[in-house]
Parts: sequence; C-alpha cells; structure tokens
Amino acid sequence: MDRLGAAGYRETNERDMGKSGISLYSGRWRQIHCRMMTGLCALAVLTLLAVLLIIMTYILLQGIPGLNWQFFTRPPAPVGLPGGGVYHAITGSLVLVGLACLIAIPWGVAAGIFLAAPRRPGPLAALVRFTADVLSGVPSITAGIFIYTLVVVRMHTFSALAGGLALAIVMLPVVTRNTEEILRLVPRGLQEAALALGISWWRVMLHIVLPTAARGVAIGITLAMAGVAGDPVPLFFTALNNNHFSLDLTQPMASLPMEIFRYAAGPFVTWHRLAWSGALVLIGIILLPMLLARIILPGYRIRR
Amino acid sequence: MFRKLSLVMLSAFLLLLPLSGCGRQAAGPPGSGGKTVLLNGAGATFPYPLYSRWIDTYGQMHANVKINYQPIGSGAGIEQITKKTIDFGGSDAPMSDAQLKAAPGEILHIPTVLGAVAVTYNLPGLTGHLKLTSAVLAGIYLREIKKWNDPRLTALNPELNLPDQNILVVHRSDGSGTTNIFTDYLSRVSPQWRERVGKGTAVNWPTGIGGKGNDGLSRQVQANPGAIGYVELSYALLNNLPYALLRNSAGRFVAPTLESITAAAAGAAARMPSDLRVSIVDAPGENAYPVAGFTYILAYREQADPDKGRALADFLWWAVHDGEKMARELVYAPLPPEVVTRVEQKIKSISWQDKPLLTAKE
Repeated sequence: MDRLGAAGYRETNERDMGKSGISLYSGRWRQIHCRMMTGLCALAVLTLLAVLLIIMTYILLQGIPGLNWQFFTRPPAPVGLPGGGVYHAITGSLVLVGLACLIAIPWGVAAGIFLAAPRRPGPLAALVRFTADVLSGVPSITAGIFIYTLVVVRMHTFSALAGGLALAIVMLPVVTRNTEEILRLVPRGLQEAALALGISWWRVMLHIVLPTAARGVAIGITLAMAGVAGDPVPLFFTALNNNHFSLDLTQPMASLPMEIFRYAAGPFVTWHRLAWSGALVLIGIILLPMLLARIILPGYRIRR
Repeated sequence: MFRKLSLVMLSAFLLLLPLSGCGRQAAGPPGSGGKTVLLNGAGATFPYPLYSRWIDTYGQMHANVKINYQPIGSGAGIEQITKKTIDFGGSDAPMSDAQLKAAPGEILHIPTVLGAVAVTYNLPGLTGHLKLTSAVLAGIYLREIKKWNDPRLTALNPELNLPDQNILVVHRSDGSGTTNIFTDYLSRVSPQWRERVGKGTAVNWPTGIGGKGNDGLSRQVQANPGAIGYVELSYALLNNLPYALLRNSAGRFVAPTLESITAAAAGAAARMPSDLRVSIVDAPGENAYPVAGFTYILAYREQADPDKGRALADFLWWAVHDGEKMARELVYAPLPPEVVTRVEQKIKSISWQDKPLLTAKE
C-alpha cells in the first residue's frame, strides 16, 4: 500500500512534469538556476548601493571642506569676495517646505484615508484616485507656471507663498497615493472586526487603521517632503530667489536648490564649492525627518 | 483622532488666511517712511557680478534698503518688468518698440555699464594680434573666406605668417546677449549678413559649430587649431585669450579694452535718442572699439510705491556715480561722462504721482 502509493505519486509527478515540459528540470539544475537568480539580485542590490555610496561619498568629499560656522550663519557674499553662506537659503527652504506640508499633508492624508476606506468604490473615489494619478504625472514645471499665472502675476510679486503653493501641488498626489497604499496594507480582519462592532467607516479609518499604519504614512510623507525639498523647478516662477535673509511670505525667498543651481551654474570655482556644501546640507535636511519618523513612531508588527 | 485631524486642518486654514491678506497690505499706505524697503529685480546675467557687488556695498551704507537681483536672462527680465512682477528689470538689449507698447506704463532705459565682444582664434605659433575688418569678419562667418591664407586676410596682416589652413567657425549654441551684439555689428556693416542672417540673441548660422556659453565656445576654439570665435570681453581678458584687432569707423585697428569700449559709448552719445535706446556697434571715434553695447536697468517712470521708487532712484543715482568706480575692477567698462549726464535726467524723471522721487545729490 505504502510502496504502491509512493510509486503512484512518483509516476503522476513525473507525468505532470513531462506534460509541462520541464522534465529536464532536475534538482541540480534547479539549484544552479536558483543560485544564478540570487546572484543577479545581489548584483542589482550592490549596484544600487554602490551608486548611492559613490554619490554620498563624492558629495561628502566635495562638500565638507566648505562647511564652517560662517556657511550656516551668513547670507551670501557678493561675487568675487570670499566667505558667505547659505543661512538665508536654509531658513528659506524650511519655510517653503513647511508651507507646502501645511497644505499637502492634511489634504493628502485625508484623501488617502478616503480612498482606502472599506466601502463600495464609488465614482467619487475613482475620480479622486484618477486626479491624484494624473497630478503626480504632471511635470513640476507645470505646477510652477500654473501658480505663476494664478498668484505671481496677480499679486505683482514673486513670493514665498507662491513657492509653497507650487511645492504643495507637487507634494499632494504623492502624499495621497502613499497614504492610500500604506493604509491598504493594514489587515482587512482588523477593519472588519471594528466594523462588526458598529463603528462607522471613517471612525474605523481614523481610530484603528491610521494609528496602526502611522509609521508608514509618516515615512510616505517624509519621502514626499524630500522630493519637493530638493526640487528647484517649481520655484523658478514662484518663490524666485533672494540674496537676503527673509521670512516675509509676500516677498521672494531663497531656497537651497535654487542657490545650489545658481552656484553650480556660475563661472567661479568658489561658487562650485558653495554648491557642493549646499548639496550636502540639503541631503542632511532631507535625511533628518526620515530618521526621526523611523525612530519616534512605533512600527506595526503582526504578532503570531 | 478625528478631532485632532480637523484641528490640524483648521489651523492650516487659519494660518493661510492672513497670508492671502498680506499681499494687499504689501502695496501699503503711501509715504510711511523709515521702514525697510525691499527692491526686487531680475534679468540680464552679464552684469550680475557687478550688480551683486553694488547691492552689497550700497546695502552696507543704507541699512533700510535691501535689493534682490536674480540673473534669469535678458528676455525674462523684459517679460517680468512688463508683467510688473519685479521692481526693476535688467537687459543687455534695449526693448523693441513692440515690447515697449505692450508694457502697461512708460519704461525707462537706464544704461549702467558696457560690455563688448572680443574675436578670439586659435593659430598656434602666431606672434602679434590678428587684424580684421568688418567685411572680412562677415566673410568668414558667411563662409566666403574659407582659408587663413586667403588674400583678403593676408592683405590685412602682411607681417603675420598665416597658414594654409581651413577656418573653423565657432558660434554660441545658446541664446545670448553676446551673440546679439556680435550679429548686430555684422548686420550693420554687411548688407549681405543683414539679408541672409540678421541679428538676434540666437540666429540661423550659415556655417560653423556651436559652443554653450563663453566657456563652451572658448573650449571649442582652444581644441581646434584654425578655429575662430567670439566671447564676452571680460571673459577674454580674465582668461588671457588671444583677440583680434578690429578696424573701426575711423579706419584704425583697435584692441578690445575697457577704454576703447567707453570711447565707443562716448562716440555714440551724440546719436543717442532721448529714450537712450541705442546700438553702439561701429560707433564713431578715433579709439572706439566697434563691437560693444550697453546693459540696461529697466524701470517704470511712474512708480506704484513711493518708498520703493525713492529707494530705486537713489540706488540708480549712486550706481552711475560711485558704483561706476567699481566697474573696472570687475572688468566692466564704465559709462563715459557724456552718457552719465543723459542718464541723470532719466533718473530724475522717476516719479510717483508726477512728483520726482530722487533725494540723493551729487
């Protein structure tokens, strides 16, 4: 009985393999194949890490010599004179990205919650999702020109406010879609258990799903922030740039990407050094909230 | 949680509301003196190093005036001053009649300094400067003169041993005020050039290869023996590039120097129209270098804000008097006295509700 069963099993197994045309797929070949694919994957990971490492090392090597106290505390020096810093651009970038977050985070997270809600998908959700997808495909220069015509030309001045709005437009769809995707990862059973107790869907989303996925949502937000913090394109026609330190939201404002662009494109060696140091500071500013989000917010783990 | 979220959204709204109101306030009640004035300007890239030095020096003397100038290009400067999104514009070329008509008010042209174009070349072993006339230069760029030992070139340069080598023409591949001055010159002196190519910041070149920016172009020239190209004068001087002497309208061969450019402006002062929009290529004068041009600051005669207008008029007055003294150090040719007196009249005419705003005195 046992032997027969085993033989019969082997027979059917081999027949199946023969049918699907992989009878040559012996154990050894399978192992080689497996190792090859693992090797390729490892190579891809290494390549990616190497690119990141090369960029980071190069920026560190080029940027660190220019870093000093003056660099963080002084506005730029005029052309041809030594010294000067990017104090005005650091504060400017913080204000501009802060403005963008103020607009994009509440709206983006709210829209993400709406899209991930456990309800029958209606036409409104489809429309919101479609809009977010289209919006995230729009080049950031378009956001800049849009705000330029709508805000800059009407207010008769380039302004930090316009810059923040343009960045918010770029940020909003990213936050929305990130939030939706992360919230969808929360186990369905958790939502259903809550819904079974008679809690309304939005309460379920806010009180159970969102806190569970808080870390993922926050990391999604920091990724969106990082994206806009390093992008000068939406700022060309909106916040422009400023040689001076300014916190006035109705006036042009400096930002790190704009200053890096100006310095890197300039004809002076001293400017190129400032551009590298600026790039280093920008990376630091972007990494900080990412690390904070990972450290402060608790991660969600499935308990077995 | 929901309460927290709605609180966040509400506070976002509340924070944004006063901001949208600020825009209207910024236009401000008139005549409130003593507060800090911020002037925003943007435009030409060429004078940016000098303007940034001016702004810094002027700012140290006037703590309540802050000036922000962004080098976004001459074309963009004209566009933004027309849309009134900036307080003053910068441009290497004067505005055209059509552009002036499109502006919502009378725009003044204030020349600040002069720029010039040097013709550079790569002829290894050549001692002494190449001499060129406008006709020969146009001939080279029209590909009518193809070899360095063409009789038209050797006739001008009997003392030089010009090689039997093809001429490689190099021009700018990007739009540029330098190209504008250079093609303006060729158009003025060569009817054929005027018909076939014309002038502009970017033209349809009959021959040659392109280089981006002054550095890209000069790299092309350095890399190819037998090449000829044109660069902004300050670039040629700072990098010790060889330059050609050009024959001016008085028949003399002149080197591009800060003095010969200022001389060109002085020679052209007589033919300057009342709005100061003038091309000074091929200007009259013994020592005038023929390929030069003004760079301008553009501002509305009738200012919308008296504080800003007053600050702008005072700054411009300082720039064309004390500021000019800093020009040479940064390799810009200062305005000749003949032109400064004309510019003074323009600055004095800057006004608010028909009252002149200038407070600075000589």
